[in-house]
Amino acid sequence: MTPGILLSIAFAGALLTYLLGKLSSRARDYCAVIISLIVVGSTTVIYGKSLEQILPFKFLGLPLALRTNMLAWFFAITIAVVGALSIIFSLSYIKGRERTNLYYFLILLVNASMLGIVLSGDLLSFYIFWEIMSWSTFLLISYNRGSALSAGMKYIIMSLAGSAAYLIAALSIYAKCGTLIISSLSTMLKTASSGYTLFILILGFITFGIKNAVLPFHTWLPDAHSEAPSPFSAVLSGILIKMGTYGLLLFLYVLVGLKTFVDLKCGILSVQSFLCWLGAITIVIPTFIALLQDDAKRLLAWHSIGQVGYIILGIGFGTGLSVAGGIFHVMNHATFKALLFLSIGAVEYRTGGVRDLNSLGGLMKKMPITFIGALVGAFGIIGIPLTNGFVSKWLIYKALISNGAPFLAFAALIGTWGTLLSFYKFIHNIFLGQLPEKYKDIKKAPVSMKLPILIYAAIIVLFGILPGIPLKVINIIVNSFGLDSLQVSLWGIGSETGALNTINICAVILVATIVAWLVFRMAHRSVPLSQEDSYAAGAAIPKDKYHHTVDFYNPLYRMIGPYLKDVIDQFYYWIARRVEMLCDGIRHVYTGDVGNYVAYIVLFVALLITAQIWWQPW
Amino acid sequence: MVTTILQSILSVLSALVIGLFFMGLFRIIMARIHWRYGPPLVQPVIDIIKLFFQRSVSHGIMFDLGLILSLAGSMVIILFMPFGNGCWCPLSGSGGLLVILYIMLLMPFGIALSGGAGGNPNVSIGISRKLILSLGYEVPFLLIVLAVMTRYKSISLVEIVRYQQDLQWGLFSWPLCLPGIAYFLILPAMLGIRPFDVASAPQEISSGPMAEYGGKYLAFVHIEHAFGLSITIALFVNLFLGGADNILFLFIKMLVVFVLGLFVHAVFPRFRVEQAIKYLWKWPTALAFVGLVVTLLVK
Repeated sequence: MTPGILLSIAFAGALLTYLLGKLSSRARDYCAVIISLIVVGSTTVIYGKSLEQILPFKFLGLPLALRTNMLAWFFAITIAVVGALSIIFSLSYIKGRERTNLYYFLILLVNASMLGIVLSGDLLSFYIFWEIMSWSTFLLISYNRGSALSAGMKYIIMSLAGSAAYLIAALSIYAKCGTLIISSLSTMLKTASSGYTLFILILGFITFGIKNAVLPFHTWLPDAHSEAPSPFSAVLSGILIKMGTYGLLLFLYVLVGLKTFVDLKCGILSVQSFLCWLGAITIVIPTFIALLQDDAKRLLAWHSIGQVGYIILGIGFGTGLSVAGGIFHVMNHATFKALLFLSIGAVEYRTGGVRDLNSLGGLMKKMPITFIGALVGAFGIIGIPLTNGFVSKWLIYKALISNGAPFLAFAALIGTWGTLLSFYKFIHNIFLGQLPEKYKDIKKAPVSMKLPILIYAAIIVLFGILPGIPLKVINIIVNSFGLDSLQVSLWGIGSETGALNTINICAVILVATIVAWLVFRMAHRSVPLSQEDSYAAGAAIPKDKYHHTVDFYNPLYRMIGPYLKDVIDQFYYWIARRVEMLCDGIRHVYTGDVGNYVAYIVLFVALLITAQIWWQPW
Repeated sequence: MVTTILQSILSVLSALVIGLFFMGLFRIIMARIHWRYGPPLVQPVIDIIKLFFQRSVSHGIMFDLGLILSLAGSMVIILFMPFGNGCWCPLSGSGGLLVILYIMLLMPFGIALSGGAGGNPNVSIGISRKLILSLGYEVPFLLIVLAVMTRYKSISLVEIVRYQQDLQWGLFSWPLCLPGIAYFLILPAMLGIRPFDVASAPQEISSGPMAEYGGKYLAFVHIEHAFGLSITIALFVNLFLGGADNILFLFIKMLVVFVLGLFVHAVFPRFRVEQAIKYLWKWPTALAFVGLVVTLLVK
């Protein structure tokens, strides 16, 4: 199995699915699932291979190459798994809607192009796949029409700005080095002057920062994530924005190299500390904005930005532990965020599109599997021990504290508290509290939705207890960047100044839970009561009268709400309005009427003649 | 292996006993300040035993599980905490202070999950207040913990205790005295006593998160409260008062801290939650922040 064959399967599969959909929707559904599973299987097969493949044809006279190594494989397997699970989830979610053929075609195309990005061996094919991804994503974001159209438009405009920056970087690299093949560039660019390196990194940062939704390029994300269909939100938040992370890793550690990156300075500000602080700000502000959201998917979307902050912080900090933590967090965020989006997708599916946190409640007993999924996902994103999120965050904190960066660590830790608060609200307002009368007859989620939810939950817990499985792969990646390797065992990390042992933690939590449970069981049996039958100091609580979930953090909202406005978004809109006004002004001149243009020409000629008569310059 | 298990059991039991003793003492001292006689010292134990034999109601599986999870979380933290001499810390090598910070999340989160499943408006209000308050004290608390970890360049609590015993207690050393004072200022908020008892507030919202609990559920909450007292105060002693050579000294140090905290509790009225946050984000945060900056500069 070579990367070429893998990509051919992925792209041909997307087309085949579309064509089959013209004949029968049932066959199309099967086809989409089978194709995505084949992609998962063939990605697994290329594990551990490290090869480069020059393609037999050229584009614009430039050779195209594909390659695979541990870094590419790590991203590829995450893409393949997230994509496959989202497609399985889509089976019932998207059923009966219009343009389903297009939906399946596009989601498979996005997956294939993302695989193309991580498997491409030169900057040109990277760009081609990047553009395929951007455009098919645009179509999927605006799939729901209505307000989704403007969300998609916002996305594609920012994305195009990023692509332009990338194109400038790639062209300038070609002009300087005469090749775009990554493996030969990685030796050439390491000797480039620091000014040139900075130029390339800034352009790369704009491109990948926009896709990765780092502050101040985040503004497309909250709209896009909340408007897209939920299974695609899972792909979008889980792995698509991580293509920016991949690009950043590629530019920072593969092309420019660790040593040049760490030494790079712009005036007194070092690029590394700039990246770290940007990561820290990206953690704190979006997390607290998320806390104040009332739309479940918007809340998750803001958290995507916050979690990206951890990744940027880990990668930017540039020690073995922190980079490992950052890369591990890429995968972890993909699992728990996809899980959370799928859970809210299931709720949305059963309640008829309701995702307003102020009107849901009490669904725990009606949708138990979805509840377990959401709970495990929430535990993962908060980073409670025994979930994978804990391990990656631990690595990042540990690196920050032991290398003397407590303020960055503070930003990361306080972000965790913001996450705890908003995910308690998420769980409480959807699944706990009282069940509103209108949801009394709600059904459980269908099997095709439960299955991905359970798989994600299992992955989160498995990698939380045995983090050594992914960390072994990550260790190889970190080594290939020239960073110190970690002492990874199956259940933790050893180091001189403090180790992590997840098996011990798991064992004691299990034992303590069993002890507490035994004490609980041995005591008097409790009488089950309905939720309506609760204590209210002698007064009865009328049904459906009070909604306990509305304005859950109102005192906090009153305090910090005024400070947490998305100023950057407003600024972009201000620019957009100015550009619009300018263009309107120009439109008064360029009316599109031939008569006016003729008049302009006549006037201009008259001007020339007058000038000639008066001053005789010619 | 056997000694580890024995140590674990002993440290959990001693934390429980110390916590229950504090709860008893709490009621006696409060009574004396109010010019009352007060209940006997063992009243909390009597209450818990009585509660275990009383009838109780349940609102479903999550209602039970959340509480169990919360209690389990508090027992696990004890195992990460040095209880005298640093040797009674069975899990010192499994992640250090960072794991303690994280498992401390489980205690309010478990109660919140359990209470939320009850569907009582008082509970929801109480939980919302409790979580907001915890965000309030977590800001200075994290700065304090980071200052200590930066000062001793370690994330292991056992090592932090050892450094202090070799050199000087954290509270009496420059610049750690600043975060030390800040910790003492936020202690009432962490213990949930006045002026920071908005979350339970018995007169306003029927004890908030505990409104739905009766019988063994209430007993569980009491036990967890005992653990919570031990953990919060033992953490202060370990971080700033040099830990202790044996459990007796640890107990004496904890007692001093607790009684000082009680006097604050006795004379203050209750803050509203906004007032509490404003206070917590002002003086303790400023002190802890300055402490952390100075720690970074003088190292």
